[in-house]
Amino acid sequence: MNLISLGIESIFVKNMIFAYFLGMCSFLAVSKKVSTAIGLGAAVIFVLTITTPINWLIQEYILKEGASLVAVDLTFLQYIMFIAIIAAMVQLVEMVIEKVSPALYGSLGIFLPLIAVNCSILGGSLFMVQRDYTLAEASVFGFGSGTGFALAIIALAAIREKLRYSNVPNGLKGLGITMLITGLMGIAFKSFIGIAL
Amino acid sequence: MKFVRTFLDKKKPLFEKGGKYERFYYLFEAHETLLYAPKLTTPNKGAQIRDAIDLKRFMITVVISMIPCLLFGIWNTGHQHFLATGQEAELLDKLLIGLQTVLPIVIVSYAVGLSTEFTIATIRQHPINEGFLVTGMLIPLVMPATIPLWQVAVATIFAVVIGKEVFGGTGMNVLNVALTARAFLYFAYPSQISGEVWTYLGDLEVVQGYSGATPLGVIASASSSGQSAVHALSSISWQQDLYSFSNMFFGFIPGSIGETSVLMALIGAAILIFTGVGSWKIIVSVFSGAYITAYLFNLIGANEYMLLPAHYHLVIGGLAFGAVYMATDPVTAAQTEKGKWIYGFLIGALTILIRVFNPAYPEGIMLAILLMNVFAPLIDYFIVGANKKRRLKRATV
Repeated sequence: MNLISLGIESIFVKNMIFAYFLGMCSFLAVSKKVSTAIGLGAAVIFVLTITTPINWLIQEYILKEGASLVAVDLTFLQYIMFIAIIAAMVQLVEMVIEKVSPALYGSLGIFLPLIAVNCSILGGSLFMVQRDYTLAEASVFGFGSGTGFALAIIALAAIREKLRYSNVPNGLKGLGITMLITGLMGIAFKSFIGIAL
Repeated sequence: MKFVRTFLDKKKPLFEKGGKYERFYYLFEAHETLLYAPKLTTPNKGAQIRDAIDLKRFMITVVISMIPCLLFGIWNTGHQHFLATGQEAELLDKLLIGLQTVLPIVIVSYAVGLSTEFTIATIRQHPINEGFLVTGMLIPLVMPATIPLWQVAVATIFAVVIGKEVFGGTGMNVLNVALTARAFLYFAYPSQISGEVWTYLGDLEVVQGYSGATPLGVIASASSSGQSAVHALSSISWQQDLYSFSNMFFGFIPGSIGETSVLMALIGAAILIFTGVGSWKIIVSVFSGAYITAYLFNLIGANEYMLLPAHYHLVIGGLAFGAVYMATDPVTAAQTEKGKWIYGFLIGALTILIRVFNPAYPEGIMLAILLMNVFAPLIDYFIVGANKKRRLKRATV
């Protein structure tokens, strides 16, 4: 029960985009088409779900002060270790996508390798440390945060596809209007803030 | 009335291309088409229409359907004022107090909103859209009677510019404009739009034991202290039976100006459905979504709020008003027929979820509709995709 509510909480209440503003760059840049957004969303879900538990294990058994495998305190290596794991995972995803769906690979472009520096992924790992999650909680949290990100980016992409019929002033076309939509979506997502499960 | 037409015809060249006030052509056109039906006919080639309905008539129908709510709201504002101050009053006194409080809000909303629209239409040189006729009426109806007028003005400008005009005007916005205005106020100036602000008191003393809490507020505080919600509603001490079921259905309770009466909202719904302007699918699915969710909570019954009988949820707060006038907004709702069912159902379910689970907001319908506005394009995307797939399958067999 606790895990379920943690999952729901990390999807909606503590949404990576609307509650913490993490991962905004790919959120704004890869949301032009729904199909691409679904692809990126799935990649982010995958990477977050894998990296958060792995990083948990590394943190627990190697990095933490008094960890069982290493006698010295390696906490100062936290960032670089986490990033290394994330980069390795992204590399894996990249190879899989290139093999399975070259079209998606082409449309994601530079943003696929850039998942490695997507703030929401490193953020997921750091939140996991900060909030003292257990391994199970960390896995659920990783999956939930990824789903929250995917949901947000897919919804934005659907709105932007509809926006093709709009008559946006020249100065606001592109990123400007996307920023405004993000703000308006943020107002709507405020409905979840304050829910304590 | 001939002289109006000749007057318009005489002035028209001034506004047409090459005229002195060419910049203001759309301002002129908006007034002309408001007074007379445009002479345009469908060309020989292209799509043919069989009904003369245009955006103006469409929007005016919605405004007409809101009139019962407005009139009742005016009366109820006065009614609540006299209840709270403990005075006996005639119908006329109540209407007078109501008019005195509600009319300025309506005037400010229309004046500010329309001048914003005119300004932007003139700058951007696009026709003036009639969408604001509805928005301008909806904004006052979702405000408390005590709202400061400058806040109405600020919210209206925000909603018209950021909520609508940056997307290109009526028909292109993502979120419902009136709800954007309300949400803006709700998050920017929370103390004037939540809590005990619903009854206009003037400078009079209130009766003993008076509390301005709405039914939703009463239930929220009762359930947090573990009391039975129904019991808390029926034991309002300063006014006998204020929150009885029938009172809440007819709307003799404090709340936003237009939202209290379920009966009036249903009359409006009948007008909208009969004229074909509003989608009955959305209205029905919002109500059933709310009822089913509340009923499931009844079965779970983990706390007092969950135990509130499901039919109570339908008459308290702005659920009925939101379902009829805001969820059905043809621009921001789902466009596909199947999508409308999903969209409405989720609005109803989310409303109850927010009411029961979120202590930060006593009412959920506003945020539930805004949230589903965000997801409506996505629902449509998947429905259209599924339709395509189904037809492709049929075509290849």
